[in-house]
Amino acid sequence: MANNMHVTELIPAYALACLEADEAKLVAEHLATCGLCRAELHSYQEVAGQMAYAPPQVEPPQALKAALLERLPAVSGKPGANDRRASWWQRNVWPAVQLPAERGTAGQRGGLPRLAPAWALASLVLILFLGASNVLLWQQIGDLRASQPTPLKVVTLTGSQVAPTASGLIVISKDGHYGTLVVDELPALDEARQYQLWLIQDGQRTSGAVFSVSPEGYGSVWISSPQPLIDYSSFGITIEPKGGSPGPTGDKVLGGDL
Amino acid sequence: MNFKTVDDVALIHLIAQAYPEALSELYDRYGRLVYSLTLHILGEVEAAEEVTQDVFFRVWEKAASYRAEQAKVSTWLSSIGRNRSIDLLRARGVRPEGHSLGWEELTPGAMPRNEGLDPEDSAMQIMQGERVRAAIASLPAEQRVALAMAYFRGYSHSQIAEELHEPLGTVKTRIRMAMQKLRSLLVEEL
Repeated sequence: MANNMHVTELIPAYALACLEADEAKLVAEHLATCGLCRAELHSYQEVAGQMAYAPPQVEPPQALKAALLERLPAVSGKPGANDRRASWWQRNVWPAVQLPAERGTAGQRGGLPRLAPAWALASLVLILFLGASNVLLWQQIGDLRASQPTPLKVVTLTGSQVAPTASGLIVISKDGHYGTLVVDELPALDEARQYQLWLIQDGQRTSGAVFSVSPEGYGSVWISSPQPLIDYSSFGITIEPKGGSPGPTGDKVLGGDL
Repeated sequence: MNFKTVDDVALIHLIAQAYPEALSELYDRYGRLVYSLTLHILGEVEAAEEVTQDVFFRVWEKAASYRAEQAKVSTWLSSIGRNRSIDLLRARGVRPEGHSLGWEELTPGAMPRNEGLDPEDSAMQIMQGERVRAAIASLPAEQRVALAMAYFRGYSHSQIAEELHEPLGTVKTRIRMAMQKLRSLLVEEL
């Protein structure tokens, strides 16, 4: 089946992932270049999604959610997580040290109304002490940072419509001259094609690497560049014939900005 | 921020920004859907719990890769849950004895009551389930069987043909016609 022929007959089964491997490969290749068939696929994926409502709805155990949420902080290195310390403070600490008058009747409900002013005063002293300690700590952190080398730069790559679940990272050395690309969940390609990384500056695209991925879609490669990687404004990955192309010719699968 | 008023797609964006409250709300909305599907496929509470937790943890890690134009959030979640469950099923090689993976017990009249659920919160999911089960019940029996083997067991066309002792072409036609009929009943009328 040629790649320019629509694969409409196979798409319902592709959405269910019940095609044989060779047929699935044909469909995947065609989908990479055909918006019409991608739209057809989305409608059948929606059918598959709705079929999930058919089994009897059973409430999961309460402990499951708690266990899930407990897993998050231990492994989360997501950027932005630390930006919300203030709201955590507001939610958890500030109400505990507020004066009774500010809390309305909350102090009386606790049964210790006469102890509340003393508790508030002690809390205030503790806050002042912690505040002073915090200033000292920040000074120490500042000194420490000044003595550290420049950190590595990391560029996050996100998947395009062709590979929506794919993700990638480019880690650039502190001097900007060296970089490593790591990708995950890119579609596995046939032997005639490979992925190619493009380094983009003022609309000009320079090849940074040509690579393949494992059957699971994982891959990593050393980036070679004629100039420091930190000079480029963005990065993109396309599907190209084996060995790479002088310029991008295939679908973009991942992209990101420095 | 009241996360209950945030729509699904915005919740995913908040999860990508590492708001645990957003993941908590998403779990409240779809934890039951994912758990019920994985439990039906795997037939074991412990395995279903493990997969359900993995699905939402994966969302926490991969939220930035979600594309709203590709699929609804519920479709995305259920597809992750289904794929993980089938992977586990394949890795084990056997299913729990006596565990059915068909549609027969899911016909509208045979459905158990959703005990223990908040009627208000689960009303939409219950209605959705009734609608899907009615659509599936309208398919010819041989199409339902082939579809169940593909959807719940992750069988390929040839595996289904072998299991049912039917020609491969027949199985392909049954799957295709079943999906086309379901699409006309479930998607195009939206």
